Amino acid sequence: MNLKPLKLKIARLSCERDYRLLFDSLAFTLDAGSILRVAGKNGAGKTTLLRTIAGLYEIQEGEVLVGDQPVSEAMHRILYIGHRPQVTGDLSVLDNLKHLAGHDDTFLKCALESVGMLGYHDSLVKELSQGQGRRCALARLWCSDAPIWILDEPYTALDVSMIKILDNKIRSHVASGGICLFTTHQLPTLSEFQTLELGCVD
Amino acid sequence: MSIEKRIIARELWLAAARPGDIVKPIWFLLLVISMVPLALTPDSELLAEIGSAMIWIATLLALLLNSEHFFQSDFSDGVLEQWLFFDRPLAWLVGLKLTAHWLLHVLPLILISPVIALTLSVPGDVSIALFITMLVATPALTCFSGLGAALTLGSSRSGILGVLVMMPLFVPVVVLASGVLIRAMDGSETLPLLALLGAFSVASAVLVPIAVSLAIRVNIGGSN
Repeated sequence: MNLKPLKLKIARLSCERDYRLLFDSLAFTLDAGSILRVAGKNGAGKTTLLRTIAGLYEIQEGEVLVGDQPVSEAMHRILYIGHRPQVTGDLSVLDNLKHLAGHDDTFLKCALESVGMLGYHDSLVKELSQGQGRRCALARLWCSDAPIWILDEPYTALDVSMIKILDNKIRSHVASGGICLFTTHQLPTLSEFQTLELGCVD
Repeated sequence: MSIEKRIIARELWLAAARPGDIVKPIWFLLLVISMVPLALTPDSELLAEIGSAMIWIATLLALLLNSEHFFQSDFSDGVLEQWLFFDRPLAWLVGLKLTAHWLLHVLPLILISPVIALTLSVPGDVSIALFITMLVATPALTCFSGLGAALTLGSSRSGILGVLVMMPLFVPVVVLASGVLIRAMDGSETLPLLALLGAFSVASAVLVPIAVSLAIRVNIGGSN
């Protein structure tokens, strides 16, 4: 799958939460094919930054441009997977995926196979373990044609084999012209990425 | 599957997975109505007179009962915020969800109301008027309770708060609906009031999803 090359431009982005300046006049541009790791201590504003870039938070100051559109008009070009499970416990794995990703059953089952969850497609999500739940949420990476991936702590609760699968998927995504932003507290196993260190601006 | 189909399908799957959500309000309605003759009097003339109003109030409460957690679980498991990434306006998706909710959770209450009216010996024409009133008025009530739920998403124990916030909007609908019932009992013209109720429902069906989508956005923007 080849994606239309797209740039993600962040300009003069500032954010203040509870009277604390999390980041100030942040500016960078990500070209197609780049991976950015947002690093920082707990509470440094990693999630806030990712959610702001994804368009979930209102931008207090500055702008986020997807291609040449402001992010609020281009959210459908972003795939955001956050802390929350983003799956409904009362529904089956396949139904959850069908709701969020569309596509037909065979396609979705392929995606589930990629994350090693094919045997569970009929199980209710609430019956799965935490790691399996994360695998379901991450299966959306195999169904999405969004060029920009924003993954907040994608490695949480994953075992070594799934981390490898995820790394490979991120690599192939950027190789086909995508952009990926992620955070992790674990030692990243991906080899090539840029790092943005967020620190408290006092 | 189109996005619209996916939203509707999910509501159906959820209803199948949580049948209690559909049965609970019906059970509640039956329970309240069966208490009326016991608590008040088994006098069928009196029951015929107040029966339709009792059913109407019990339906209203049953409707509030199941709308208090309207968006809560989708909000806390992060599915609702994913709707923002769909290539459709959020208000449109909210409108679909409200419609599905009305069809799955409110319509059954309306459909059984003539039967319940029969048990309270409500006269036939009044019971028909009751049925039509509910059909015309409940879309507005569903919208308002959805708005209450969306406005109080961020706060814990939001259930009753949402209802309280929306109470002023329920009042005109209840007043108009009881007007229809009184007129039906007198045998006078009910159409003008029904038309007004219908206008209320149409206006809220158009405007409330927009307000709900703004409320959801604000609540997503303010949470971690």
